[in-house]
Amino acid sequence: MSDVLKGNFEPKQSVQAEEKTISTEEKFEREAMKRLGGSICFVSKKKVKWNTPE
Amino acid sequence: MNQRPDAVDSDNPLVRTLVAEMGGRTQEKIIGEGLHNANTNSDYLNRGQSLAALLTEKVGAGDSAIVIAAGPSIATSDPAKHIKAAGYKGAIIATESALRYCLSNEIVPDLVVTVDPRPRLVRWFGNRHLSREQMEADRWFGRAGLDSYFADEMKANEQVTRLVDKYGKGIRLAVSTSSSREVIERALEVGMELYWWNPMYDDPDDPGSVTARLQAANNLPCVNAGGNVGATCWMMASAVLGKKVVAITGMDYAYHDGAPFGLTQHYRELCDIAGEENVGAMFTRFFNPYEQSYYYIDPVYQWYREAFFEMIRDADCKTVNCTGGGSLFGEGIEYLPLTRFLETHT
Repeated sequence: MSDVLKGNFEPKQSVQAEEKTISTEEKFEREAMKRLGGSICFVSKKKVKWNTPE
Repeated sequence: MNQRPDAVDSDNPLVRTLVAEMGGRTQEKIIGEGLHNANTNSDYLNRGQSLAALLTEKVGAGDSAIVIAAGPSIATSDPAKHIKAAGYKGAIIATESALRYCLSNEIVPDLVVTVDPRPRLVRWFGNRHLSREQMEADRWFGRAGLDSYFADEMKANEQVTRLVDKYGKGIRLAVSTSSSREVIERALEVGMELYWWNPMYDDPDDPGSVTARLQAANNLPCVNAGGNVGATCWMMASAVLGKKVVAITGMDYAYHDGAPFGLTQHYRELCDIAGEENVGAMFTRFFNPYEQSYYYIDPVYQWYREAFFEMIRDADCKTVNCTGGGSLFGEGIEYLPLTRFLETHT
C-alpha cells in the first residue's frame, strides 16, 4: 500500500522541480511586512467577555 | 450627508492586500509579546482591580463620554479648550498617548487606556530612564501623530514626566495585561489606579482560543481592543461604561493633505515594502466632504478605519465624530464640530 501512495508510475521524462529562489529584496519586503501592523488585535463582532466559563 | 464607508478605498492591489492581511499580521506581531507580558504581569495583578470594578463606579456624569486620542488634529482642533469652556461633566476617556495633551491643558481624564505591548509606550507616561542614545535609536515618537511637541524628544519626555508625576496619582488606568512591565511600573510609581483586562487575541468562543485560555488563567474580562488604543477607548465608553453617546476627538486615522509622507507613522515600513520611489502609491488620497478638504490614509489606518466601522455597526451607543478632520465619516457615524456636540451634552 505504501508503494501506491508514493506513486505508481515512471514519467517518460525526468521532472525537475523549479527551485523558488527568494531574492534579498523579497526577503527584505517580507520582513518589512511582518513589522507593519496595528497596535493590538481586532476581533470581528465581539465586544466584552466578562466571565470565565464555568 | 451619507458617505459610503468605502469612500476612502484604494485602487492599489498591494494596498488592498496589505489591508486585507493586516489583522493576521497584527496578530502574528503582537501575540507573543502580549502573552509574555500577561505572564510577567501576573505579579502585578493584585496591585489593581479587575476592569469589572468599573461597572459599579461612577465614571463621569450622565450618559455621554468624550474620547480624546492623539491624532494630528488635536494640535489644531484643540478639543481641551472647548471641553473646558463648556464645563463638560461627562466621562473623559483618553488614550495614553493623549495624556500629555490632557494634563498640559489641565484636564485630568476620568479614565486613561493603554494596550500596546511595546515597552516604548512608557514614554507616553514619561520615561525617567530615557537616554539620548535610546531616543536616537527609536524615532517612532517623532513620527507619532506629526506632533511638533516631539520635535525635541528629550525635552518632551521631561515635560510629560513632570506632568504625570504631578497629576498621575489616582488617575484610573484601564491597563491591558499585554502592557509592558515598564508601563506598569511607571503607572504604579505615580499612584495610578489600575483596572486590569485582557485584550482579545482571537474569538474567545472558538475552540482552543488563546484568549479563552488567558481568561481562564487570570479571570479578567476580555475586551475587543479594535486594533488600536483609540478604538479601545471607544469600546470602553460604549461596552464597559455603557455610555449612550460617545464623541471621539483626535481620531483622524488619516493625515492632512500636504503633510510630508516622511513624517507619517508607518513611512519606514512602507518604504521597505514598496521602495522609497514608490511609497507615494501606498497612500490613498480622499476628500472629506464635511471639512471640504483632502486627506490621505495609509494601509494601517485604513485597516483601523474598517475595523472601527465594523465595531460601530454592532454598537449600542451613538458615535459622534468631533475630530474635525480625517477619515472617520460614513454610515453610522454622526459628524459634528465638538462645539455643537457640547451644546447638547454637558
